[in-house]
Amino acid sequence: MMMPRFAQRSIILITVILSLILAVMPMSIAVAAWRPEWPLLVTLYWIIALPHRVNIGYAAVVGLAVDILLGSTLGFHAAAYAITAYPAARYYQRIRNFSLSQQALLVALLVLIARVIVYLFEHYLNNAPLMWVYLWPALSSAIFWPWIFLVLRKLRRRFQVQ
Amino acid sequence: MRTRLTLALLLAFLLIFADHQLEIMQPVRGALNSVVSPVQYLAVMPEQGLDNFINQVQSRRRLVRENQQLKEDVLSLQGQMQRYQFLVRENERLRGLLASESREERMRMVAEVIAVDSDPFSHQVVVNKGTRNGVYIGQPVIDAEGVIGQVVDVGLTTARVILVSDQSHAIPLRAEASGIRVIAQGVGDTNSIELMHVPHSTELSEGDLLMTSGLGGVFPEGYPVARISNILRDESLPFAQVQATPVANLDRIRMLLLLWDSNSELQPIRTENEPPSADESGNEGANESGNESVDKSANESMEESADSEPGTAEPETTQGEGV
Repeated sequence: MMMPRFAQRSIILITVILSLILAVMPMSIAVAAWRPEWPLLVTLYWIIALPHRVNIGYAAVVGLAVDILLGSTLGFHAAAYAITAYPAARYYQRIRNFSLSQQALLVALLVLIARVIVYLFEHYLNNAPLMWVYLWPALSSAIFWPWIFLVLRKLRRRFQVQ
Repeated sequence: MRTRLTLALLLAFLLIFADHQLEIMQPVRGALNSVVSPVQYLAVMPEQGLDNFINQVQSRRRLVRENQQLKEDVLSLQGQMQRYQFLVRENERLRGLLASESREERMRMVAEVIAVDSDPFSHQVVVNKGTRNGVYIGQPVIDAEGVIGQVVDVGLTTARVILVSDQSHAIPLRAEASGIRVIAQGVGDTNSIELMHVPHSTELSEGDLLMTSGLGGVFPEGYPVARISNILRDESLPFAQVQATPVANLDRIRMLLLLWDSNSELQPIRTENEPPSADESGNEGANESGNESVDKSANESMEESADSEPGTAEPETTQGEGV
């Protein structure tokens, strides 16, 4: 059964919107510090899985949505997501052959890079003090990556998103 | 691939420049906030659903007990109110004698927090009131304990409130006891704000309550903000290091009060088509911000909207408490 093209594309959009909801969902402070970078994880998955559908531009738009939702200066997350999307979009074939744990390591590194970029912007433009807490989600993102990957792959196959 | 990255980065940097350096982005931000507000409403839905569920299954006995408790609270508050009214009148009379301006009345509206920033660099919350309710940029926001912050962005149905603990926020204060004027800046920690440029010889002491001084023109005078927690007098530093703890629990705010100056042209707008229970639903529980969902000053001519929300729109005036 082939689904209409717009339905396939809407699967991508729906997962991205869900990740944005998870990114702003109220949580207790202790847990919120470990909140994985959901939008980046989902965007990275789609870039690796469907590089002709989701690319650096898409990542930048998702980053912009994160900027609006988090109230940071517009463009901080957009730039960070675009930069981290680049290696994923460039080497997607190689990354697909990685094992899940290798992918998780790479994701941790990419999330770390994204966070450091946002932090540098905040530091030089808005005088943010260094907070190590801000880098913790790199770890939790890596822990959640295998689940994100498997769930999204199941979705992709179930709805034959191409 | 590389051109795409360059293009995306170029756009991002342009945006950063426009948003950071130029003032032109304010209306754009407002519009964008309106666009993403469904995501925020969706994000808060599970929590609200859970709250509703808990309210539903609460046992009758507990409700009766809570009702009893609330009645007692109302009684004691009414008792205090009488005294307060008397003091207000006396204050007005004395101010009249001194020929100084009397305190202006303020209007307030309850708003509910629908999103909290997960980003530790910005202490902001999003509330469920926007331009449709007359919310404006720079509007002071308080809760039952004290000052929370001010509005920085307004969308159609949402507004973004920056907390006093945000590192980019500063607020002019006055010590309640000594009357010393200080400026407190957020440091990015919800439990602490820092007083700037305090000389070593200051008379401030630990435990002093700091109130808004009304000097910045944003916050009305006389609302409690923070209590001094620690003073470090290190002579090798140019100023004394003074830390204060905000009196409001900034890390667990649920209900807020938006304040309006009653003699300015900016006024609260009570929307007719807003579900009347939207305000009360969260209020039924034991939240501390009180039950006055829609307060208004007695001299306002908004009787129609008052009728549509029976029981919640008691004409009531609030005043900035005097020094």
